[in-house]
Amino acid sequence: MPDKPKIALFQCRWCLYSPTDQEWVDTKLPENIHLTKTPCTGRINPLYMLNAVQGGADGVMISGCLPEQCHFKTGNMAARRQLDEFNDFLDYIGYDKQRVRFVWLDLQDRGIIQKQLAAFEQDLEGMGPASNLATRVKVAEGEQNA
Amino acid sequence: MPDIEAIRNEAKRLLNEGVVEVVVAFKAGETPLHPQPAFFRSAEEVDELLYDGLCQNNLAAFLTRLPKQSKVGMVVRGCENRSVNALVVEKQKSRENLFLIGVPCEGILDWHKIVSEVGEAVTAVKEDGQNLMVETRDGYQLLERADFLHDSCKRCIHPNPMSADILIGEPLPEGDPNLARTTVENFETQTIEDRYAWFQKEAERCIRCYACRQACPMCYCEECFVDHIEPRWTESGATPAGMQGWHIVRAFHQTGRCTSCGACERACPMDIKMTYLTEKLNHDMRDKYNFEAGLDAQSQPPFAAVTLDDKNRFTVRGE
Repeated sequence: MPDKPKIALFQCRWCLYSPTDQEWVDTKLPENIHLTKTPCTGRINPLYMLNAVQGGADGVMISGCLPEQCHFKTGNMAARRQLDEFNDFLDYIGYDKQRVRFVWLDLQDRGIIQKQLAAFEQDLEGMGPASNLATRVKVAEGEQNA
Repeated sequence: MPDIEAIRNEAKRLLNEGVVEVVVAFKAGETPLHPQPAFFRSAEEVDELLYDGLCQNNLAAFLTRLPKQSKVGMVVRGCENRSVNALVVEKQKSRENLFLIGVPCEGILDWHKIVSEVGEAVTAVKEDGQNLMVETRDGYQLLERADFLHDSCKRCIHPNPMSADILIGEPLPEGDPNLARTTVENFETQTIEDRYAWFQKEAERCIRCYACRQACPMCYCEECFVDHIEPRWTESGATPAGMQGWHIVRAFHQTGRCTSCGACERACPMDIKMTYLTEKLNHDMRDKYNFEAGLDAQSQPPFAAVTLDDKNRFTVRGE
């Protein structure tokens, strides 16, 4: 069986209101999904996204709160302006735009993150593994990075 | 070309009357193709002041390296004026402490192009309107000035300084915005693999000297992200990931701040093309937010001017 696509999931810690969903994300994520929890999507530096891409992620998913529901008022809007542009920019130099997905979650949403991740995974399987920009040299455990 | 004596007289007046402490401009360099930035602190030194098409630095880069409270005079072209405005917006210098001597710019000459045309043995370059007289050890060559402009100057939109305190010379016609647009759009019509191949080919020559950073007026961080050790944001060696990461993030940090002066590309010792990256970001800022950096000294760049009005800009659910 071929490897499942590697997904880097950046999740704002406020966006999942349902405790069961949050528990699922925290403890039951499949192994091909790497979770990075941030205090707000506004904290996601484009460098994090680049690090995921260079480290060989086939897709990046960013989940945050709906507009006007940001815990920090406009953190998600600031993030969206930057990350959306960064996504366009990566597409310009060779990392397919479809490999980055933004999800905005609402209070009423239950189980939506699982559905979104599954749909994203399916789309990524269709696209195949990402090779462009995945240039970081793997370092052995305990060894210092260049 | 603006009258060099008029620029010198103005610089002398500023220094004599104590309006400014230092005038930042150019003087003759060690080779005829490379005039160098110079700091004039007394009126006697000003006779060395020089301005021609080969002055390739963006002088606004020195603004953040001079003491913040010092009063600075500066000879500015269109792009430098925009960089100064962008720095004023970011509160790196207050406009009251600046005196800008504006010169309409006919475009900066790319010395690489001159050398590849006439050879290394250039002894002098004279500009006369649209003609370029290049003196070499073997004789003279008459060239067309427009053929030797730097690429980013060919697609320059605003050659005139917009907020200079005094303008020396006649304002020039504005450039065609479609030239910058087509540069980006032509690149975008290539397939994604071709785009990546081009980016890879350019980035892999990088020797990580950071000349592009030092030449850029907007790169004034005390500590650059590549110099940061703990945590290390990106590989700092000349590895593929390090080189590509540097080019991506250096360009991206200029989003909404880059004034398309092309100083980064002119500073590169490896002749790496990098304005196609910043042009893309400028293009997007113009398209999405109707914003161009440095046109005035008040407007915040789009990434700083976030409002809730944005909520309809992006698709709410996963696209």
